[in-house]
Amino acid sequence: MPQLQRREVVITGVGVVNAAIVGASPALGAWLREPRPAARSGAGGARPAVRLPEATLAGLIDPDEARRLARVCQLTIAAARFAVAEAGLDPAAGLGLVVGSELGDFTSTIAFADGYLARGPAGLSPLLFPNTVMNTMAATTAIAVAARELTLTLNVPTVAGELAIARATAAVASGRADAVLAGGVDELDPLVAEMLDALGDDGVRGEGATFLVLEAERVARARGARVLGRIAGAAWRSLPARPWGVGRHVASRAIAEALAQAGRQAPDWLYVSASGDATRDAWESRVLSAALGSRRVPSVSLAALIGHHAGLGALHVAAAAWTARVGLLPAIGGGAERVAGGGLVHGLGRGGGHVAVMVEAA
Amino acid sequence: MRRVLVTGLGAVSPFGAGVKTYWAGLAAGTCAIRPLSLIDATGFRCRIAAEVPDVGAGSARRSRADRLALGAAAEALEDAGLGAADRASAALVVGAVGGGMLEAESWYWARARGERLPRWAASLRAMLPAAHAEALAHRLRLGGPRHTVVTACSSGAVALAEAAELIADGVVDIAVAGGVDAVTRMCFMGFNALKLLDPEPCRPFDRDRRGMSIGEGAAFVVLEAAEHARARGVRPHAELAGHGTTTDAYHVTAPQPEGEGMARAMRAALVAGGVAPDAIGYVNAHGTATPQNDRIEARAIAQVFGAGRPLVSSTKSMIGHTMAAAGSLEAVATILALTHETIPPTATLLTPDPEVEFDCVPRVARELAVEHAISNSFGFGGQNITLLFRRA
Repeated sequence: MPQLQRREVVITGVGVVNAAIVGASPALGAWLREPRPAARSGAGGARPAVRLPEATLAGLIDPDEARRLARVCQLTIAAARFAVAEAGLDPAAGLGLVVGSELGDFTSTIAFADGYLARGPAGLSPLLFPNTVMNTMAATTAIAVAARELTLTLNVPTVAGELAIARATAAVASGRADAVLAGGVDELDPLVAEMLDALGDDGVRGEGATFLVLEAERVARARGARVLGRIAGAAWRSLPARPWGVGRHVASRAIAEALAQAGRQAPDWLYVSASGDATRDAWESRVLSAALGSRRVPSVSLAALIGHHAGLGALHVAAAAWTARVGLLPAIGGGAERVAGGGLVHGLGRGGGHVAVMVEAA
Repeated sequence: MRRVLVTGLGAVSPFGAGVKTYWAGLAAGTCAIRPLSLIDATGFRCRIAAEVPDVGAGSARRSRADRLALGAAAEALEDAGLGAADRASAALVVGAVGGGMLEAESWYWARARGERLPRWAASLRAMLPAAHAEALAHRLRLGGPRHTVVTACSSGAVALAEAAELIADGVVDIAVAGGVDAVTRMCFMGFNALKLLDPEPCRPFDRDRRGMSIGEGAAFVVLEAAEHARARGVRPHAELAGHGTTTDAYHVTAPQPEGEGMARAMRAALVAGGVAPDAIGYVNAHGTATPQNDRIEARAIAQVFGAGRPLVSSTKSMIGHTMAAAGSLEAVATILALTHETIPPTATLLTPDPEVEFDCVPRVARELAVEHAISNSFGFGGQNITLLFRRA
């Protein structure tokens, strides 16, 4: 099958807002050198979860602006602004936006429904209603950062952040966009956590947002941008599974495609989506074993430290760019392992959503 | 870039199941907007919607929206004549908003009222927009790249554009794409709260229009690389010749007043398809019948094509605003207009709005052969898309 000539895609900005990391790539790098678990608290269903302290978010969004925005939109905008500022990008030159989210704004959705249940039609809030549509984070963020080109919201279990990065990479690589802000966001709602418990997701839950500015390398270099890493390959496919289920197939076309785009046989190290959801994690291990054979490839997941949410996949990509730059792979429990070369960010979700992103130093 | 052909069509509309039924309703100018039956509309000013009369085959354990999607996607696959091998590598892109919210609402309403909870795990599993894609992929054995896009009311059209890019870029040869939404309490109540619903069937482009009507349904298409379709000996319905996607970045619910983002999307689609504005014979408008949308959309069309031409109609006058399904149902209507050489009417248009400087095909379909047509879809957040179709 003929494929288009692919443009080189680089990362020029990073923005992270979660319980452990707040800021652009320097804040991420500082934490990755000595990764520590964020504090866990209630509001995560039956089990403790990693929730962003309210004071942190309050310090990132102007109070007047915050009054008009749902909390999950505030998370998105705060991370997006860190990324765009670090990239030094002028959105007037054309900026796309791809937001991955697993859950959207359930807090507003529940509040909207509660208004009706309490007071009938008179209890319905026209201000809350737009937040019940999952593209509300993209809509508000597009306004906040003046993104006027392609804007997408992608929904998929487990791997929404990885998928957003892969989809944005395709937009830049194909030449349809020169710059795209992409990442993932989720917030924890107690009722949603209760639902996930009922569905058998026993992973470590968190919340937050991570966004990256992806640009065509030629365009980024021409404007003198600092390049933080290269997306050497990115692909999304699917593996057979029942809805919300875990499958048996292990032959990964996503990994093969991402490696082929990067011109590689194998990655040197891995960031994986393992989140403590035991049956899903076991499936991911089998898929990676099938793809990598007996080769020992050091791997890490940051989910145990900051909790799984749709920002995690994008955070893994940003962290992989850091690892490629400095040659350190963070280790759970502190410290870091020396590595070299390029790494694969891997995501496999319940239902079979499957993403592979190959990251190298630029 | 590879050419992208439409080789399969499927629809479940407020007229019933099937593309033939859909076209018969559109061509006859039948309004399918009737009193609501799915949810309790007591206390609301508007109590009508365009519901699908018979959701058809499929397990009742699935959400209503999943069943709508399965019916439409299965028809599209059968129409395209795709075998198991092609399905196994076909991409799937679904535009969705409400997911299985109708069933999840039943659970939440019961919970709030202290009643016995119905099948809660099943309801919750199907609740998110991505649930449709998982159900379709599993049931129809679609094994290629898969994703779900949520761009509010333009989701169904964006799904087609996403799939077309996967084919044009050589990622896959075949993609199944479309949108789906069922009537939900949240949607009905929300548009009521925004005072955007007409208590009578909506009247797009009418001087006296008072808002939209909610609808539901699903439409899916099979998109295929031209050389792949040729090798299979398939006769296409049309070519998806281009698309343009823009964002207003202006307001969460209101469109930019001059229609700048809408016009930009239409121009981008024309550029992508290498088609001059005067080659477009028909615009299937977003045409929601809200005072604001129709005026601004007409202004945007005039910016691109000049006042007075081409023909413009809104099929929402017959099937209401089917939310995430709207963009794909209207894409199918546009393709059928090309193949049947008939422009579907704005069926409820009685008194044309003098601010809308177009022939909006009032009440009765019009026989006309056109080579190129566009379908506009616009969503909350200023998410605009125009699809450009060329007669095969």
